[in-house]
Amino acid sequence: MLEIKEKSITIGIDTNKCDTCETKACAAACKKYARGLLQIVDGKPSVEHLSAEEVLRLGTECLACEIACKFEGNKALTINIPIAGLDVYLTKRGLQ
Amino acid sequence: MAKFLEYQGKEWLAKAGIPVPKGRSASSPEEAQQAAEWIGKSVAVKGQVQAGGRGKAGIVKLVETPSEASAAAAEILVKTVKGLPVRQVLIEEKLAIKKEYYCSFVINNARDARCPMLMFSSEGGMDIESVPEELIFKMNIDPIFGLQIYDAIDFCVRAGIPNKELSKFASFLTKLSQVYKKYDCQTLEINPFVMTEDGSLICADCKMEIDNSSVGRHPEFGIKIARDLPGEVTELDMIGWSIEETDARGTGFLMNMGYDEVSPGYIGYHPIGGGSAMMGLDALNQVGLKPANYADTSGNPVGSKIYRVAKSVLSQPNIDGYLLGGFMMANQEQWHHANAIVKVLWEELPKKPGLPCVLLLCGNREDESMEILRKGLAELMTSDGIGKRIEIYGKEHVTDTKFIGQRLLALAKEYRAEKDAQGK
Ligand code: SF4
Repeated sequence: MLEIKEKSITIGIDTNKCDTCETKACAAACKKYARGLLQIVDGKPSVEHLSAEEVLRLGTECLACEIACKFEGNKALTINIPIAGLDVYLTKRGLQ
Repeated sequence: MAKFLEYQGKEWLAKAGIPVPKGRSASSPEEAQQAAEWIGKSVAVKGQVQAGGRGKAGIVKLVETPSEASAAAAEILVKTVKGLPVRQVLIEEKLAIKKEYYCSFVINNARDARCPMLMFSSEGGMDIESVPEELIFKMNIDPIFGLQIYDAIDFCVRAGIPNKELSKFASFLTKLSQVYKKYDCQTLEINPFVMTEDGSLICADCKMEIDNSSVGRHPEFGIKIARDLPGEVTELDMIGWSIEETDARGTGFLMNMGYDEVSPGYIGYHPIGGGSAMMGLDALNQVGLKPANYADTSGNPVGSKIYRVAKSVLSQPNIDGYLLGGFMMANQEQWHHANAIVKVLWEELPKKPGLPCVLLLCGNREDESMEILRKGLAELMTSDGIGKRIEIYGKEHVTDTKFIGQRLLALAKEYRAEKDAQGK
């Protein structure tokens, strides 16, 4: 599992699913909609060519990689976007 | 603007050395009684809400004894004024009033001014709108040097203050102007300030509003949200504020609109930009739908910020629809909205199957954005899918508020009927 931390989100990629992915759509989306942080190394997405600080500085939290992977890739990538207070709001109303 | 209730404003005035009546706030009749005992004389019991016309609304009462103060507080604390519940009363000493005056410090936005302005009238205690124009005296104040005592004396002469009182009034107004600056006020209105029988000048009321942008410089105020809110801070307001507070990457604004979370006909409202927001409200108004909230994702925010706003809007309980209203040709890249909305709808529609979602996007990168929406939502949008009431529109309907409103209304009616049939 690859975990990439941007300023306010965490990208999780189950890279085991990537070997059989033909499109590598995440990397293409990253290039088209953002700054091309994600690169494909040995058939899997990677940000190893960047330091953690560079990922923080360059990451635009565009969400494009998740949408691309979901509809064109192998559904390996999910992004967690915390929202302060929302869980409490929903729990109080029995909506969790 | 961050607004203070009267008792809060008076506390800050007192801390700055400005005379105010002896008093304190109370949240219950018992506290009111104790406060009146502490004051030890006749008191005024004044309901605390952010609304004018409190006297006319019956939430200001003059009483003689602590038990009468308790009774008056009990009466006032169950009232609602202009939709705002009265949660506190201010108990303060009754003043022996000789004369009432008006003064306020506001920002004069006129092109040739752009500075604080003092307004003064010897007709205090009533709405300033009802005071004849010739009895209201105005003076611009140098934003750097502030109100100087010699200017204040000139001003008071012009306003008809008798010679023997000039230095007292000039000094009072000068001190207030210093408070106005010290607290970074946008408005400081004292109506009335009174001259008592013994000749003292005292602030009998106080309306203090602080410049939102300065709140960071004043941790002592303890202001949670530096924003103009119609009422008390709600949980949704707090969520909205947390989205903006630490993230300056474009706008991600969200606030409550007096939404009661129960009544039908409310729509989760997500416009993109101020002009678009007005057109979206027009769309809702034309067909009798109401916004459950006000949101704004403009200024090219990052996708995660748009996601947070849209997710919060869609999380509101018991809404009859969601409107993404991009009624203007936006310069920002719309594909960030498209990606965020696809993610949110996949997460939220399983909890609200069949919720009407009218999505209008228009402007820069529109074609790509439409493709993301259509492709991303296709599986949900089948005739029996959880997204069967999603409709996507682009530039062909960019100013078509009537059409968008009517589509949303038709879908909301269908949705409501379906829910009613299911007994929900
Ligand atoms: S699109 Fe998804 S499955 Fe394909 S390489 Fe990227 S993360 Fe892996």
